[in-house]
Amino acid sequence: MSKAAFPINDLLRRKLQTSLTIITLTLSVASTLFLLLFSSRLGFNAASAVGTLTQGLTTIFSQFILFIGVLIFAVGAVLTSFIAFLMMAQRTRDFGLIKAAGCPNGLVAGYFMTELITTTFAGCILGIALGFFIDYAAANVVFSAYQLPNFWFAPLVFVAFFVLSVVFGLQPILKAARMSPVKALSPVNYYGLTTTNKHKPLSRSGITWRIASRSLFRRQSATIRIVILLSIVFILLTVSVAGGIIASDTTTSWIQKTVNSDTIAIAHNSMGNQYKLLLSKFSGAKETGDFNYSDPKLAIPEGVIGQLSALSSVSLVDSRLILKEHVNEISNFTVNPDTEQTYSVGDSRQGEAIVVGVNPENLSGTWFVQGRFLNANDDFEAVIGDSVAQAMYSPDTSKNTMLSNPLVQSIEFQNNTFSIVGVCVDPVNNGLVTYVPIERLENISGVSNPNLLLVKLNNSTDRSADIAQIKTLIQATDPDLNVFELDGVIAKNSAFLASTWQTIMLLPLFTLVSAALCLVGYMMLAVDEQHQEFAVLRAVGAKPKIVIFILAIQSIIVLVSSFGVGISLGTIITLLILMQQPLVTGFTILEITGWLLAALAGMFIFSLYPAFRLAKTSILKIMT
Amino acid sequence: MSTKEDLMIYAQALGKTYQVGDLKLEVLKDITLSIPKAKFIVICGPSGSGKTTLLNIIGGIDKPTSGKIFVEGQDLTVQDEDFLSDFRCNNVGFVFQSYNLVSTLTVAENVAFPMEWTRKPEQEIEKRVTELLETLGLQHRANHFPAQLSGGEQQRVAFARALANDPQLILADEPTGNLDGKNAQKITQVLQLLKERGKTVIVSTHDEQIRELADQVLCLEDGKLASKNE
Repeated sequence: MSKAAFPINDLLRRKLQTSLTIITLTLSVASTLFLLLFSSRLGFNAASAVGTLTQGLTTIFSQFILFIGVLIFAVGAVLTSFIAFLMMAQRTRDFGLIKAAGCPNGLVAGYFMTELITTTFAGCILGIALGFFIDYAAANVVFSAYQLPNFWFAPLVFVAFFVLSVVFGLQPILKAARMSPVKALSPVNYYGLTTTNKHKPLSRSGITWRIASRSLFRRQSATIRIVILLSIVFILLTVSVAGGIIASDTTTSWIQKTVNSDTIAIAHNSMGNQYKLLLSKFSGAKETGDFNYSDPKLAIPEGVIGQLSALSSVSLVDSRLILKEHVNEISNFTVNPDTEQTYSVGDSRQGEAIVVGVNPENLSGTWFVQGRFLNANDDFEAVIGDSVAQAMYSPDTSKNTMLSNPLVQSIEFQNNTFSIVGVCVDPVNNGLVTYVPIERLENISGVSNPNLLLVKLNNSTDRSADIAQIKTLIQATDPDLNVFELDGVIAKNSAFLASTWQTIMLLPLFTLVSAALCLVGYMMLAVDEQHQEFAVLRAVGAKPKIVIFILAIQSIIVLVSSFGVGISLGTIITLLILMQQPLVTGFTILEITGWLLAALAGMFIFSLYPAFRLAKTSILKIMT
Repeated sequence: MSTKEDLMIYAQALGKTYQVGDLKLEVLKDITLSIPKAKFIVICGPSGSGKTTLLNIIGGIDKPTSGKIFVEGQDLTVQDEDFLSDFRCNNVGFVFQSYNLVSTLTVAENVAFPMEWTRKPEQEIEKRVTELLETLGLQHRANHFPAQLSGGEQQRVAFARALANDPQLILADEPTGNLDGKNAQKITQVLQLLKERGKTVIVSTHDEQIRELADQVLCLEDGKLASKNE
């Protein structure tokens, strides 16, 4: 038999263990590569596809993807090292046997290194192939078109994971190589067992609990590794599930606050359609580029506003003047109170934005994420959309703008400067929007009437009849005026936001499956190490369910301790770092708890596979 | 001649075949025997003659490929695993050649655990463990783990565990096979004690000292019952 034949035959003989190792490595490598490829696509898509998502939301998405990416890479690294360690730790006894039979130390170490390198290479290569395949499938489903990925990620992931696996897998090989055959064969040294005596002759806890807990401590090295691995997996899961749901609810609420579901729009047909397009730009629509917002034909007569306000079905009429303007950033100065040094804040960047004049006393809703919204005393004050804030009021090192803060700066258009008092997330024109008092805007622009009304309806049993009444009323004054229901646009925007979040939340799924396989590997280590004892327990009268129970306790201890650590850190990361002003309702907590518990339960059930397999095996087969 | 009620074990045309790859290994062939209660039986025979397999079938650890085995009137060939677990726990005490103690449990816990499954009160378990460890000279080792004991001590713990639920049938598979003369003698004394207490003891052994205790010696050869010496 050639020197290479032994390790290959050995791997083929241990089919289950070998395939489990390769599958886990494959999934770990594939999920990491897929995440890198997919997030680069998502980032590319968000940046290049003009008119999709506001820039503030893109930043939130990018933060999430970055965090999830870092965590998935960390999980992949720990998972790969764990599986390599596990594979080799299980062979300590075989190592001793081969050495005891007279095989030279170097040759036996070579056998196991060949096994390690073969399985790691197979797992990494298959993982790269699977990663590209999943990316291809996901790109076709999500983006409807396939563009060639960034191939440089493949060698990066391959080298990183291959090196990690070999380095961590070598540790138990070198440890076993240094061990004498007697020690390697001894159950005392096998898996680093200790025989310290800290227990009473008869402890009061149940027999199953005692065997399970002491076995866990006996396998300290492997137990600590699996707890660390699962903790990171649960952090990842919390960030993606809890963070994803909270962020989704919060951002959806921001988007829905701009136009409430009980609100309709009234405008001339062309203006109404343009406003709907401006709102839909968030989810991919394009507005008419050369639209003349200041066209006098779009003005809504004062009389219409009075008539609408008098209707019992109407609770509020929010008059708006919508214009398109060239806007300029106005910089400011700030003084450090300690050093009295003066710093310049901002630059003189420019851009196009929709400027909306509103009556602060008659708003159908308020929506801001920073500062405040306009109030009745404001005149030369403005609230800017998040895309304006990101594009014109964020630090830009390429232009040497180190300090920038919209709330201490101003915005200028048509030679009038407005102090910025707030920043809002707004789907209108995809966040490239600025709100100012309507009277000031009318004075500046010379347009004396609003061109859009947002009408808030009272709760009514017959909404259709109310809308029909309003339509008849306004068309009696001007037949070109019309009612525009905005529910469909809001629903489309919310659905688009939700589907984007769901795509991000799906990314860690592969990691979860890999981690579950790792847990199965750990449980197989437990079965492997304790098989003789389980056989004895069965022989002296333990029912198969007792063996399952002992292994289930071990799985629960590992899972619950990891779950506690992971959930706590994941929640801190989500609420304190990723999401400002989170919207957390009772239902959100229930939904998150449900998903996380489902993941925990799924992993627990999955981890019991080796236990059920053992329970079905005859006592004699376990013994031998 | 023994009546059916006096019999501890009755085996009828027992056969056991193992499939190893394409090869069929016939380990037991057409064994019919009856063992009365309170008898000390020694099973002898060369390695591979089927001694361990016969003990495993009598103890309900293994099932025959053909034939029937009755222990204390129960037909073990038709019982499911849960019944057999209860049966082994309450009716059979098994001692293995390689001791087979649970390494994560102390000596006292190793003796106690078969009793915990029968839901005996804790005080009763403690009393019984103390009694058994004293009988076997292991009271000073109660708090130690198996890896801290000598082979002879581990085998005595295995006997204590086998006696925990006070079974009427004790099966010992080469109990002195791994022990030196001094420790083997201590085990022989334990077996003598069991015989005096009226237990049915079946020992597979080559040990002449143990053979002297036998009421009956069964010799197996190539899976067949070669001779019965009263």
